[in-house]
Amino acid sequence: MIRQWLAVLIAVVLLPVFVRHAIAAEIWIFAIFGLGLNLLMGYTGLLSFGQATFFGSAAYVAGYLLKYYGINVFLALGIGILVGALSAAVVGYLCVQRSGLYFIMLTFALNQMFYFTAYQWTTVTGGEDGMPGVPRPDVLGLDIHPPLAYYAAVAVLFLASLWIMQRIVESPLGKILQAIRENEPRAEALGYDVARMKLAAFVVGGAFSGLAGVLYAMLFGIVPLEAIGFVFSGNVVFATLIGGSGSLYGPVIGSFVFIWLSESVSAMWARWPLLLGMAFVIVVLFFRGGVVEAWARFWAWRAAPRAPAAQTDVPR
Amino acid sequence: MSLVRTEQLTKTFGALTAVNGVTLEVEEGSLHSVIGPNGAGKTTFFNLLTGQHAPTSGRIIFDGRDIAGTPPHRIAHLGIARSFQRTSIFPTLSILDNVWLAAFARQESWRGLGWRRADRYPELTRRALGVLGEVGLDEKAGLPARAISHGEQRQLELAIALAAAPRLLLLDEPAAGLSPDETRKMVALVQKLKRRYTILLIEHKIDVVMTMSDRISVMHFGSVIAEGSPAEIQRNAEVRRAYLGGIAAP
Repeated sequence: MIRQWLAVLIAVVLLPVFVRHAIAAEIWIFAIFGLGLNLLMGYTGLLSFGQATFFGSAAYVAGYLLKYYGINVFLALGIGILVGALSAAVVGYLCVQRSGLYFIMLTFALNQMFYFTAYQWTTVTGGEDGMPGVPRPDVLGLDIHPPLAYYAAVAVLFLASLWIMQRIVESPLGKILQAIRENEPRAEALGYDVARMKLAAFVVGGAFSGLAGVLYAMLFGIVPLEAIGFVFSGNVVFATLIGGSGSLYGPVIGSFVFIWLSESVSAMWARWPLLLGMAFVIVVLFFRGGVVEAWARFWAWRAAPRAPAAQTDVPR
Repeated sequence: MSLVRTEQLTKTFGALTAVNGVTLEVEEGSLHSVIGPNGAGKTTFFNLLTGQHAPTSGRIIFDGRDIAGTPPHRIAHLGIARSFQRTSIFPTLSILDNVWLAAFARQESWRGLGWRRADRYPELTRRALGVLGEVGLDEKAGLPARAISHGEQRQLELAIALAAAPRLLLLDEPAAGLSPDETRKMVALVQKLKRRYTILLIEHKIDVVMTMSDRISVMHFGSVIAEGSPAEIQRNAEVRRAYLGGIAAP
């Protein structure tokens, strides 16, 4: 545990040395977004294809208030978290009534409803043009306009998010959610109200998405329409799967791979999604637990060349 | 005093009447068995008691209140726990966590639900380990549940039910698929639980049922066709025709 945290701290400190500051900030923002999804997808077994709903809603609401009412940055973050959690409560309430494919389609369909609302409501959201002019107010008198300063602010919030998520997945709730993923009827027979627990996972996941949404809006100074679109929902699923769904650090690693590839390699090679596609195929075929599982298996193989692969806490 | 009593309990699935007007009473502290051929409706009867299915008609009186149609998670909190005929565990979670989750569910308060670390509930962990000790799995507590043998998984299945500290324990064929040796172990285990819990048992192995039970109900095509002490059941001609056939000596 301490070793993982040390590795994360080192990564947080070193990343801006090697990567453009804005991209470095985006990596951790996307990681916060992925942490929220991972609680649903990795721990509870609920494949939500509509996480951008919460991300985008929070970005629009907080962005609007920042732009037109000049609210302070803490209030903006708080409102973003709240909007993320509330929209997730509404969407989650409807979605947990169904399971399997119908659940996935519901998350997707509701995402589309939010998307087209944002698309049509041009007076507020700017429609296709997005909502530009989202300011980045000072934090307790500190100017966070310099990219490195903003990076530091994002990094602190990311570390806090990671710590909170760790507490949640190691708490009884985290165990209950995993039990639901493993065997829903049994969890119910033990006395857990499965629908309510799933809803709780939605709300927590939505809160994380909301925080990420506001940070994203302040990073680029704009809420693009894509921030609430299904491609964005798909991207976070994608990144989390590559990193390793169901393990705490999976979405963090996935976010790094995904954002870094999309921002760095795309400049050199326009067909970069091919690389992502290949990575995805490899993960699905050989490493269901993503990079995290590949890493664990590599070390197990190094330690005992002919011993079977290490057991991870990843669902198969 | 009966702990649980059903009155004219019926469950139909379309044209099929799986459970047909079952009236049955389980005495507090007794071991009451339900036997019958495959498809007699025994497991459906259990599913009605634990809320997996809502009955089509009839009443289930548990501890003086009608609980028919209550969802499973509420029924668990009333103190009814079950083991499943087909092993139903949490495969990738540790054996300890499997049992711990059952114990946590029955806590009066769920304080620290989303924040306190699950290993900081010493009282619950102690209880979970105690139950694992009872079924003989305490030394494997740290292993994932999928890593142990079928026989051990059946013991875990039972441990999960026990960890809920139930007032009524429903055991659905605890010895299903076990070897003769494992069956003997399981029978000894259930024997130990007798008197400490009120037990309703479904079992196919007639010799087991005859030696352990205080009372036996025989189900056939969804109805209870006979009820009595093991000796009475053995003498009952209708039961012999329906079920025991060649097994019981004339």
